[in-house]
Amino acid sequence: MSSTTEIREQSAANMNTANANPSKVNAARASSWSLWTRQTLAVMSLEIKKNFLSRRALLLYLMAGLPLVLLSALALFPPPTDEMGNFSEMSVVYAAIYGGLILRTLIFFGCAWVFMNLFRGEVVDRSLHYYFLAPVRREVLVVGKYLSGLIATIVLFSITTVGSMFIYYFWLFPSESARFFFDGAGASQMLAYLAVTCLACVGYGAVFLLVGLFFRNPIIPALLLYGWEWLNFLLPPLLKKISVIHYLHSLVPVPMSEGPFAVLVEPTPAWISAPSLLLFTGVVLFLASLHIRRMEISYAGD
Amino acid sequence: MAVYEHLYGAYEGESHSALSRFFVIPRYALREVFKSKLFTTIFILCFIYPLVAAILVYLHHNANALALLQINVRELLPIDASFFLTFVQVQCAFAFILTVLVAPPLISRDLSNNALPLYLCRPLSRAEYVLGKMAVVVFLLSSVTWIPGLLIFFFQASLAGLSWLWANLWMIQAIFSGCMAWIILLSLLALAVSSLVKWRVVASGALLGLFFVPSAFGEIVNNLFLTRSGHLISLWATMNSIWRGLFGLFVRQTGSIRGKVRHPIYDEQFFDIALLEPPLWVSWLVIALICAVCVWLLARKVRAYEVIK
Repeated sequence: MSSTTEIREQSAANMNTANANPSKVNAARASSWSLWTRQTLAVMSLEIKKNFLSRRALLLYLMAGLPLVLLSALALFPPPTDEMGNFSEMSVVYAAIYGGLILRTLIFFGCAWVFMNLFRGEVVDRSLHYYFLAPVRREVLVVGKYLSGLIATIVLFSITTVGSMFIYYFWLFPSESARFFFDGAGASQMLAYLAVTCLACVGYGAVFLLVGLFFRNPIIPALLLYGWEWLNFLLPPLLKKISVIHYLHSLVPVPMSEGPFAVLVEPTPAWISAPSLLLFTGVVLFLASLHIRRMEISYAGD
Repeated sequence: MAVYEHLYGAYEGESHSALSRFFVIPRYALREVFKSKLFTTIFILCFIYPLVAAILVYLHHNANALALLQINVRELLPIDASFFLTFVQVQCAFAFILTVLVAPPLISRDLSNNALPLYLCRPLSRAEYVLGKMAVVVFLLSSVTWIPGLLIFFFQASLAGLSWLWANLWMIQAIFSGCMAWIILLSLLALAVSSLVKWRVVASGALLGLFFVPSAFGEIVNNLFLTRSGHLISLWATMNSIWRGLFGLFVRQTGSIRGKVRHPIYDEQFFDIALLEPPLWVSWLVIALICAVCVWLLARKVRAYEVIK
């Protein structure tokens, strides 16, 4: 991170430049953008270390490792039926594992853990004021922290997604799987699952960043959100669209039945789903930036 | 007051009994808990289902009300073991939400502020301290689970008569033991997490994760391995088996799957795989083991001093 003096000198220089010659305003703006980018990267690198190496990351590793353990156990002790030994059924079974365990539970709770702790964690550690005292725009702080959380969750859960898929396919059917991934639809399915994982981290990350910033006790909103996402299949079409899982479900390569009570709706096309999630994230980051500008630290309540 | 000045005198006022000393912790903690508007709102919401259940019981025995509402008594839910089982399940789910709100800061706040020596230098043992903190959770959860459950049971008994009461007397024990098992599990687990994690928000998150992640994992295990043993990982499913057992509604076989294997001679062979729930004693054992681990964690963590290396 740039030292205080350097930044003061730079901003003073920018102001002087702007006052002296309006034609140089653009250059000053460009230099402040470069400063913000450097600061964002600095905050991000600091936070990435915390996200990957702190004691709190242990739970994240545990969650990310669960499907790998489960699918290894399945490969070692397959159930005594032919259903599991049927290669054509494998994509459906993997879709169930991905939808039920990885997406709805592990990514959800993993993102909740990482993104809520981005600011709440600093408050409980009583270290947020160090960031606030540094000559960094608070919006830069929000973006830096959000990106660090995003990198941590995307890296871990992408490994989970790809790793569990490889373990599941290659352990049981090595030759068929090789053909499926290198000549068939396997590679595109894997990329689609990866994209869904990344978008899930983007969407849930934004939601939990906001929850962590706005609520002193974010557990109840998290619980309500979990219920809302789980009951999504029962909701009417309009309400379904006010959830992250609806857009993610639309992107999953192997669609799963949501049960007899599900309210059926047309899946949202990918060209709407993905930009919608990104747009939503942009709005959330904007709201978070507005909120953090007026944020005052009170450690007493925690 | 400094001891070396020889001015220190022992307390000569009225000494309180051990029991009243024990109740100091829950008294102050409960006062603190009800200061939260969110908690008070959720606590009140917890009584909606008992109210609905009481109205259902009342409707069963009030011919005028039934005639007025134009409802046939057969259309109403029967007041039997399954009615009280549902009551226990719903109220215990609410009890979990209350625990997530109340329990995490109980010990973590004392630990993070180094306040334990202040408690333990007084005539209060470590066990009494933990029991005092547990009493807060037990009191709150009891007031939304077995207490309204038994009140509805006796309300039904008063309307249905002595014969119903004698025939269903065993349900008192089922309601009480089922709820108490859940309350003890929740309070021990929450206090153990609270002592381990130290931060309220993190402790609440960990408690939520402990319930939801293993449940989803257990369901996937059940579906992949064609078994019901995955329920042992899920605390909610294990407790559900226990409640069903207490209300006499436990069935071990909850389904079967038609399996198919290739046979070298007969080509294909079909057979049924019975999906068996774990035996009740295993469910009780799992709960007892979890409680034992929690007690061990509490014994390790709740100390007047801590050596930090």
